[in-house]
Amino acid sequence: MTKNFLEIDNVTFTASAQNKVSNVSLTIENQGDIICLLGPSGIGKTTILRTIAGLVKINSGKIVLKNKLLSSKDIHVEPEDRNISMAFQDNSLFPHYNVLENIKFGAERNKKKKKGLNINEIIKFLHIDHVVDKFPHQISSGEAQRASLARSLLSNPDLLLLDEPLSNVDQSFKEEIQVKLKQILTEQKITTIIVTHDSYEAFYLGTKCGIILDQQLKQFDDPYNVYHFPNSVEVVNFLNRGILIPAKVTGENSLENADLGTITGDFIKHYPKGSEVQLLLQPEDLEHDDQSNLKLEVVDRKFRGTNFIYTLKTMSNKLIPVFVHSHHIHQHEVDEKFGIKRPINIDHIVCF
Amino acid sequence: MEFRKINIWYVSSLLISLVVAAPILTVFSSFFETTGNYSLILKNTFLYDYIYNSLILLIGVLFLTFIIGVGCAYLVSFYNFPGVNFFKWSLILSFAVPAYIYAYSLTAFFENYGTAFSILKNLFGEGNYNSHIPKFDGMIGAIISISFSLFAYVYVLTRTSFHYQSQNLIELGKNLGFSKKRSFFKIILPSARPAIVAGLSLVAMETLSDFGSVSFFGISTFTTGIYNAWISFDDLTLANRLSFYLLIFILGLFVLENFSRKKAQYHSPSKGGFKSKSVINLSGYKSFLAFSFCMLVFTISFLFPVIQMLYWTILFPKHLADLDLVDLFSNTVILVILSSCLLIALAFISNYGNRVSKSKFLEALTTFSISGYAIPGIILAVAFISFISWFDNSILGQGGIKPIFIGSILGLVLVYFIRFYSLASNGIKSGYLKINYSIDESAYLLGYSKFKTFKNIHVPYLKNSILLIGILLAIEIIKELPITLIMRPFNFETFATKAYIYASQDLLEAAAAPSLFLITIASFFILITSKYILKD
Repeated sequence: MTKNFLEIDNVTFTASAQNKVSNVSLTIENQGDIICLLGPSGIGKTTILRTIAGLVKINSGKIVLKNKLLSSKDIHVEPEDRNISMAFQDNSLFPHYNVLENIKFGAERNKKKKKGLNINEIIKFLHIDHVVDKFPHQISSGEAQRASLARSLLSNPDLLLLDEPLSNVDQSFKEEIQVKLKQILTEQKITTIIVTHDSYEAFYLGTKCGIILDQQLKQFDDPYNVYHFPNSVEVVNFLNRGILIPAKVTGENSLENADLGTITGDFIKHYPKGSEVQLLLQPEDLEHDDQSNLKLEVVDRKFRGTNFIYTLKTMSNKLIPVFVHSHHIHQHEVDEKFGIKRPINIDHIVCF
Repeated sequence: MEFRKINIWYVSSLLISLVVAAPILTVFSSFFETTGNYSLILKNTFLYDYIYNSLILLIGVLFLTFIIGVGCAYLVSFYNFPGVNFFKWSLILSFAVPAYIYAYSLTAFFENYGTAFSILKNLFGEGNYNSHIPKFDGMIGAIISISFSLFAYVYVLTRTSFHYQSQNLIELGKNLGFSKKRSFFKIILPSARPAIVAGLSLVAMETLSDFGSVSFFGISTFTTGIYNAWISFDDLTLANRLSFYLLIFILGLFVLENFSRKKAQYHSPSKGGFKSKSVINLSGYKSFLAFSFCMLVFTISFLFPVIQMLYWTILFPKHLADLDLVDLFSNTVILVILSSCLLIALAFISNYGNRVSKSKFLEALTTFSISGYAIPGIILAVAFISFISWFDNSILGQGGIKPIFIGSILGLVLVYFIRFYSLASNGIKSGYLKINYSIDESAYLLGYSKFKTFKNIHVPYLKNSILLIGILLAIEIIKELPITLIMRPFNFETFATKAYIYASQDLLEAAAAPSLFLITIASFFILITSKYILKD
């Protein structure tokens, strides 16, 4: 017996010899938790969802939901008997029923539970009220995706699996849907696993995030920790939110880099003095200061709405990203010099 | 891991495929058995005639059906001329005329003192017209009869391919400075190649297994050889072995085509970028030529046999009065309903079994079993009779099941089932290809069992396909001749058998009325399905 809501114990998820994720163990402790799985395309994220849903059998380990063994080497509960719902990435609406009829399939399953999701509210918040009478082939892929999401939500399952649920949704109401979706999932206590390649979406929606790389679950932690305390170089490279520069540990709270000088902060892991390490430098770690005598050359500038990301070149030809608020009084052009505030202090120091 | 896929659907599909594959296995097993003396006689006498005649017949029919089928499909797909909308559907009416009935009409019209002679006599008075009227008998007659009866396979498939051909491709040709002729040979024709080959393959199989028209014209082909091996020399093993060679030859053609095609892709993804074609308006002599070509094909393929049969039916009303129409009609309808229902139900179950189990073994077995379409109806009937005889004598020890299966409606329907299974199975398979797997999976995840998914999702979705397949099966069963002749109960007649029996007794004028009824019923079915046939 386990207290966890969902327990995945040492399962190898296999779609093909190349496409598999080995020896995965993770738990969802509480009903209503939302787990996001991040990873590059083709890594096997969808296979994980399909296996949990019962569409793929397993050869090792076990999957337990609400204390019921669903999958093991010898036991396989059929998908229709699991009360797990899944919204697929591609259009999986029944082609001979209109959108409303499709959505009602979900409500029909929920009939016995009489739990409080209102079909009209769901349709409205997902912005599909104008297509309910249309057939799947008459609507856009984004609308089909939202209709599929509505159908899954209304079925009120024990576990909801969402495969890239908003990948085809217009940016204009993507954020609004994310907010409302999180609200509904939390209010209704619908335990959910979301597969996405959008790290911002994962960090916003997820109670916990899992990073899948190289056929393994590399890190499974709070979104904050995943971002700020990545546990491997692979996770750093995948999130693409900083670079690794060589540095030497000079004290309990300091290290030295040939280009940037002394850097101070709290190490999240102890390194002996004199250790040669790779320091993770994220765009928000450095501050711009026109008065500083530490000047680096601008090689690129990206406008990202709320901020600019400057790419700076060090003396040793390393390229370092730096955030600057977009309301900053002046902009720096490519080839100009860009000042970095000294002394450099980083809130938490991550090294490898 | 195959055993993990086994469930009720898997077992059902396996059993169905095995039943259909049994005659093919019988044919294949003949390779290891000893044949009688006739084998040696045949080798020294007629075998090379069979090969030569079959090849000449095949080449002639493929050439003619290619020219007529592709030509008509090209004209009605890319050009606008008077009557184009009429020709689009009317050209498929030739499906309603079996090759053997076409052969009767051809002979009736051009024979000495035939219909052509009567027309000339009425127009110009008495004269020695017989020596001037060409005679379309023998090999030429068979090639013409089979070609005009079967060209619609090439026409329908090529036209569908042309219909879905993107305007972008044609515009690309224009951008590259291609002339119309160069566009046709470099872009349009190559991209329709799989469809044309599929049509020609069907024509090839039907031609090589044709019995009615080649026996009428007295041509010795593999099929008549098989028939003779069984009927005249009672050597079933040799009959099976000849079928084996035939099957290998047909499979060889497929392999050759696949090999020559390599990995070229001939279709564009269906989503996005599709721009419907703009047709070219023809005027002047070009318009006249296009109209004349299509009209000529329609007249020769459909109007000619219909008018010939109608003329004789009116000219000899006694033969019409002698026909027991109610009996013939009810017999035909019974066969159609029983066979179609059995075929559709089992093909549906088998396809769903394959889909649910995702077993490569099952998929391969199904593919193998449906290649039985290439086996002539005669050999299927013979294989079935010999299997039942063997089972009754060797396994049951004169268990007395022969009368249940041989010379009975049940036996006839079962052999139809084996013969037409590929048509039903492929039809349902092509319907299933349009249903994404995630649809099934969504249903499971909404709590639907496999049976409920089958009943509530698949059957309603595929109901149009089922109806279409049912009608196509009806057309085939109405026209089917050799199996019905061999397997039918005593005194059980259909329009096809009645026409054949009269024709084989040289009573062509008596064969006219049942032939006309057969064509009329088949035409009716074709007309109500023409919209779907041309679309998909």
